[in-house]
Amino acid sequence: MRRYETIIILDPDLSAEKREPVLKRVQDVIEQQGDYLVLIDDWGSRKLAYEIKKKERGYYVRFDFCGTAAVVDEIERFFRIDDRVLKFMTVLLDKIVDIEKIKEEVAAAEKKAEVLEKKLEPSEVKTPEAQVKPAEKETPEEQTKPSEIETPEAQAKPPEKETPEEQAKPSEIETPEAQAKPPEKEPPEEQAKPSEIETPEAQAKPSEKETPQEQAKPSEIETPEAQAKPSEKETPEEQAKPSELETSEQQADLSETQTIEPEGNKADNISTETKEETK
Amino acid sequence: MAAYAQHSNRKPKRKKRIYHRRKVCRFCADTSLVINYKDPKALKYFLTERGKIIPRRISGSCAKHQRALTHAIKRARTIALLPYVGSVELH
Repeated sequence: MRRYETIIILDPDLSAEKREPVLKRVQDVIEQQGDYLVLIDDWGSRKLAYEIKKKERGYYVRFDFCGTAAVVDEIERFFRIDDRVLKFMTVLLDKIVDIEKIKEEVAAAEKKAEVLEKKLEPSEVKTPEAQVKPAEKETPEEQTKPSEIETPEAQAKPPEKETPEEQAKPSEIETPEAQAKPPEKEPPEEQAKPSEIETPEAQAKPSEKETPQEQAKPSEIETPEAQAKPSEKETPEEQAKPSELETSEQQADLSETQTIEPEGNKADNISTETKEETK
Repeated sequence: MAAYAQHSNRKPKRKKRIYHRRKVCRFCADTSLVINYKDPKALKYFLTERGKIIPRRISGSCAKHQRALTHAIKRARTIALLPYVGSVELH
């Protein structure tokens, strides 16, 4: 059993009802073969990086499933025939998969989702809490969902006075998850920052390099004539390098020009030499 | 004579270019970063404005991660998350 991931791009002009049969068909195919569909991830409509069948936008759906090559063949055959599907791609995630484990994970995720829903409902009913919570939800919702779970639960549940059994179970499930996940989700924000920091470093370094080169070369060169000429040549080249880092388009141009330049120099040298000879 | 002097000076210049700009692979420096083809925003940093993959010698990533990056970028292109040619605004 292998774990696959299929992303399909559906026609964005299809209505939700017309979209449904496609998803249903995939689900049926997977279940017919006795394989396990982990989840259908609906990304919604988003802009395509390039036009597909003259369409600017596409409706993305991701299927995550465990199965064999036969299922993939069957699904892809269906996608090829169906013109509602603009494009599809299947990726192998795992070669060996333990279905029981995945089922457990899914069950845990579902429970979490249920608990979330439960908490959202009472929060709407109770006015004093509801005033506080929406403000909290708006900001952290996208970043850290587990943190949401902790706070509303603690606030919402005691006043509800549900049966103690119900209270106990979800809390047992949540706490380990809630503790585990926030640290995982926060780092991506931190990660983004260092990436931004690197660029100024990269820009800063070339400026450092310029000085040693300029210092070193004049000292090696003895004749005053020779000093003047290389220094003239160095500066434009060194100026060009930092710009390489910044814009990559210029790189291509520069690399082309750089390759050409030496040839041109050689040609000049040769021509000068020949001139000297002729003289 | 002048031409000869230039020629002799050019050699050390080339040598010196080799050791500068010590770049660090971003993914080695921060192991929590994951290369994923479904995240076009993160991959976009490794593309030129024209949509070409930025070479290793410029981006500074290590061989292993550059390989993973190219793989991810090519996958993202297949499924229209990233362009083959030209730029795209990611929202």
